[in-house]
Amino acid sequence: MIQTSAPRAETDVYFKAPDVAGYAEVPHDEKVRLFEQVKADFRFGDYLYGCYECGICVAACPSAKFYDFSPRRVAQAAAREDVDLVYQQMQEDIWECSQCFSCLRCPRGNNPGGIITIMREVAVNNGLASAKQALVGYSRIIYKIMSTGTQVSPDMLRADAFPDWGPETADVADNLDLWRRALPAETMHTTSSGWSVADKTLVELYLIWLETGALDMIAEVDRGLHSILLELMEERLEEEGIQP
Amino acid sequence: MSSDKVAVIGGGPGGLCAARSVAEIGGEVLLIEQRDFLGGTPVAENYAGLTPHGEPAQPQIQQMIEAVTAHPKVEVKLGAELSALAGGPGAFVLTLRGSKGAETQTVECGAIIIATGFSHFDPGRATQMYGYFEFPDVITQADLEAMLSAHSVIRPSNGQAPERVCFIQCVGSRDRQIGNEYCSKVCCAVASKEAIEIRQLLPDSKVFIFYIDMRMYGFWENEIYWPAQEQHHVQYVKGLITEILPRGDRLLVRGEDTTMGRPMEVPMDLVVLSVGMEPSRGTREVAKLLGVKQDKYGFIEAVCGPLDPVGTDREAIFVCGAAFGPADLEDTVSSAASAAVRAVGYLRSLSAAAAN
Repeated sequence: MIQTSAPRAETDVYFKAPDVAGYAEVPHDEKVRLFEQVKADFRFGDYLYGCYECGICVAACPSAKFYDFSPRRVAQAAAREDVDLVYQQMQEDIWECSQCFSCLRCPRGNNPGGIITIMREVAVNNGLASAKQALVGYSRIIYKIMSTGTQVSPDMLRADAFPDWGPETADVADNLDLWRRALPAETMHTTSSGWSVADKTLVELYLIWLETGALDMIAEVDRGLHSILLELMEERLEEEGIQP
Repeated sequence: MSSDKVAVIGGGPGGLCAARSVAEIGGEVLLIEQRDFLGGTPVAENYAGLTPHGEPAQPQIQQMIEAVTAHPKVEVKLGAELSALAGGPGAFVLTLRGSKGAETQTVECGAIIIATGFSHFDPGRATQMYGYFEFPDVITQADLEAMLSAHSVIRPSNGQAPERVCFIQCVGSRDRQIGNEYCSKVCCAVASKEAIEIRQLLPDSKVFIFYIDMRMYGFWENEIYWPAQEQHHVQYVKGLITEILPRGDRLLVRGEDTTMGRPMEVPMDLVVLSVGMEPSRGTREVAKLLGVKQDKYGFIEAVCGPLDPVGTDREAIFVCGAAFGPADLEDTVSSAASAAVRAVGYLRSLSAAAAN
């Protein structure tokens, strides 16, 4: 929808009101601030040129088949600088994208999936409710990646967590250590990380998380997880005699 | 008695190019223009920049005029209108009437090129739905062109610079209700060019174009449409405006944002109607006086098909530019040069036959 100079009328039945959509309304200026952050990203100029509204990105999009989701609308909202709609999308639509980048087929050279990448980063950095909600299911994975450098550890594959995986899951879980030791590569004889990670690698990894600000990103969405990881990293680096 | 002269009727870009082309390949030309000046619609309506490149219109048209008036083989008659035709191919006799009054004269010519052009659709005539006469801030592309020439785009209602401007496409074109089913070909590019000019003149303004299809064929696509969107942030919205309502001291335009699937009501300070082309009065009258076939809209019909777009149903009478239908400048001068070659070729084949 076209951005009007005045705030959107409450009688606009075609714009889902935030309370209906289930996220907090914020002042217009805050929406402008968030959109300015999206536009200020150095990738933005390469991700959005102009939109023909041809729909080829939607046709290519697997998520559009299953959700009320349209990469075209994301590109259009950004091109039209419709901050209300961009904000709504940051609270809803962008988490329905699978980041497969099929939408790169755009004849204008746009990258709607890339715009979504930026919008997600801005949502995470600003602690938007949608970002917190979307990342709830991933807190264990974030913990694993940041603490071990491996994403999914064998001991996360428990039968009660994955009932649809069948009865063998329980058997494997009960004798996990044995099953892992049956694997040929010695580095795979682990249960609490995907593979065994060298001490030197972990130290380098922790330094990267701390120095690049990657750890800071999750402070806004999961403060508890952030302090657990921070403590773990600082302790380890201290043992190595490194002051981050 | 046969004449070696080609009469060109109309002194706009088409007529100027036809006259110059005939002269440059050695023919004698009589250029007849009803107005008191040459240059046609671009001069009469004070065009600012030419489409597609946006270069200043007046100096460029002036160059065309000078090339014609300086040529020894061209005779120009200003303020002269055709009033009768006698004779036949190779030996026509035209009666000309002074536009101001009584004096008439007759001239001879062997072939005729009609270059009488178009006039803009009058949005006040057939429909009042956009309130062209009701709201001072509803103007046409031609009105805007005159403002751009003066480097001052304002709201006529209060003399202030507009913050929000929109174009409504296809006004008087592609409309069965109005009777003009055809596309006028140039309005998409002209609107985009004017939108860029407004954004350059008023960088804080927001400019919207409401359209059915954007018809930006060939290089107009990447030379006008893409820069308008990508560099000048002109907003293109697929969906036509149904009506304009007064709202405070602004105008509320109502339409559908079709690709978002929502009705929209948005305030504007200035609304520009992208009016299409219709046959000019000159085209209608000259067609009747010369007895050439017209289409249902009044344009002169190019009866010979796509490979001969300048032939009419009468021998030795050719047509160019917007007299035979909507045409951009490139179409106009191309068909004018083509008509010039056809007219001179016709006269030379006559004299060759006479010599044998």
